[in-house]
Amino acid sequence: MNMSDVLLAFESVEIRRGMGIVVSDFSLTISEGEVVVLRGENGCGKSTIIEAAARILPLEKGKVLHHQKVVIDSEGRRNTPTVPFGLTLQENGMVGSDTIAEHLSNMMSICKIKTNLAPVLKQYSLDHRVNDLISHLSGGQQRKVSVIAGLLPAMISKSARLILLDEPDAGLDDAAIHTLCEHITSLRLAGHSFLIATHDERILNCATRINDLKQDVEQTPPQGEVWQFPVVELTKSKNFIQNGFTYNFKTKSGFANNGIAGFLTLGILLSLVEPMELENLHGLKMGFALLPAFVAGLCGDPIVNLLRENRALDWWRANTAIPRAVVLPMIGGAILTIISSYIFLENIEAIVVIVGSLSTLFCSLIIGFLQLTTNKLSRPQAVFIRLLTPILILPWSIVVTELTTYI
Amino acid sequence: MSGKIGIGFLGFGFLGIMSTLYLGLMWAPSVAIDAFESPAAQRIFYWHVPSAWAAFIAFAILFIGSALWFFRRSPTGWRLHVAGAEAGLATGLMTVWSGTIWGSAEWGTPWDWSDVRLNTFGLLTLLALFLVLGRRSQPDGIETRDTFSTFGLFGFVLVPFTYIATRIWVIRHPGPVVATGSGGSLQSDMSLVLLIGAISFTIFIIGHILTSMHITKLEQRVELLQNKIDRSE
Repeated sequence: MNMSDVLLAFESVEIRRGMGIVVSDFSLTISEGEVVVLRGENGCGKSTIIEAAARILPLEKGKVLHHQKVVIDSEGRRNTPTVPFGLTLQENGMVGSDTIAEHLSNMMSICKIKTNLAPVLKQYSLDHRVNDLISHLSGGQQRKVSVIAGLLPAMISKSARLILLDEPDAGLDDAAIHTLCEHITSLRLAGHSFLIATHDERILNCATRINDLKQDVEQTPPQGEVWQFPVVELTKSKNFIQNGFTYNFKTKSGFANNGIAGFLTLGILLSLVEPMELENLHGLKMGFALLPAFVAGLCGDPIVNLLRENRALDWWRANTAIPRAVVLPMIGGAILTIISSYIFLENIEAIVVIVGSLSTLFCSLIIGFLQLTTNKLSRPQAVFIRLLTPILILPWSIVVTELTTYI
Repeated sequence: MSGKIGIGFLGFGFLGIMSTLYLGLMWAPSVAIDAFESPAAQRIFYWHVPSAWAAFIAFAILFIGSALWFFRRSPTGWRLHVAGAEAGLATGLMTVWSGTIWGSAEWGTPWDWSDVRLNTFGLLTLLALFLVLGRRSQPDGIETRDTFSTFGLFGFVLVPFTYIATRIWVIRHPGPVVATGSGGSLQSDMSLVLLIGAISFTIFIIGHILTSMHITKLEQRVELLQNKIDRSE
């Protein structure tokens, strides 16, 4: 075996889940044109290995390499792979408010290549649904989209790509599994490599090696046609701010998550006081003007909340950087501060608007960061992370005091 | 055995705390009538200061436990983390609660969001609450322990910050009256009651931590036995 052909390598990997060691001293290499299928009873560690290969799970010992470069190791290194790879998790890792076209275009953007996917979608009977929201699809259709997104880096690249599929057959009908097997074979013949966890005999038959986590057994896979590389064009990949802006703009999650809270705060303040009554209470007037933007920020990063659906956060984290809301919170904070300044300060100062805008941005980023730190937990939604948010009140009150003095 | 020692410490500590309360409210001399806005409320100081002292001990235990778990994966470290968080929550709440009573009487407001000492100490207590509630909301596992011990480590950054806060920014919270480096400003009877309080709270917190560690050890043993039963079925 030529080492330059190795697309994925596990070197003496040990992985824990819960308090138990699920995978111990596991080593495996997958070269160009190989399909390795992980087989074993439930709980033996198949998904754990796939998720470790995708850099989602931390390693206790050993390291994982993509294209001979370390992507994760037990020392805590976690490097973004230089070559894009395909990933289908057990949960689909998609956001319900994306359309099929949008989700697949996210994957193509990560690969920096775009192509017409209509022929592939037709093979999975999804071509008539291309502009439908993922949340409007049936469970089986959603699974098909997730599988296509996983295969996509190989489908659009002439160079060898690594594809990780965790139980891709779950929820697929016979016709879709047949198409999937054909794709695995044709992409293998084009030089791409697969690591697949499955119980399905039809997919097992596509393997060049079957691994039960203890030993490899080689087998002769079926022959077929080599994958016909489609016409593609190069494109630029989007960074985490652009992806966050797209999600935020499309789903209006920033308004639903943060904006409404800001407007409610403004309404509550107006129900408590007549702005004219605050005539000489300058500190209070400044505080009231900046409060709606601050409260909007305290609601956190709307994109982090959105991506918690179906492990989309893990999907993004495995492939590239997690999208973050940056632009729209600033705009939202500025709008809220303009309105509240007009009401409570009776004029609109640029410095107050900038401070309001930045307070929304910083608060939402800090709370989003806190949310991300607890994302590794089994039940991240159940953890009481917002108990720590009162610390933001102190710097905010200092800013209000300073700004009152300044103006 | 450690369980019985812990309960013994808890009992002695409790008796000491009750004695401190009695001495502080009934025996200790009053402050000068013009010393504070509300001189009578100053007596809560005999509860507030020792409980804050105990809270700092608990947060130090939390830090040590978090570090031992995070860097060495020590099961004792995790038990120290759990015990430190629970003890920190108990004593933190005692401190915050007594402080708000004094604040209401002295300042006319129970809390000041612009005071650095109040806010950093409040956050430490909220961190302990987060760790206690968070641990109960999650299944025990490496990810849970790693995440919470990280918060335990970062949280400790606030301890020296809280300690020096009244030495640097005196906003509402009074400056230090003991450990000032200039011999202190307390009468000897006041110092005696305060010393009894500090010793009692220290004994109490040691008992709390030993008992909590014992309970966590028992919980872990139950889980181990349950897993053994699951595997044998």
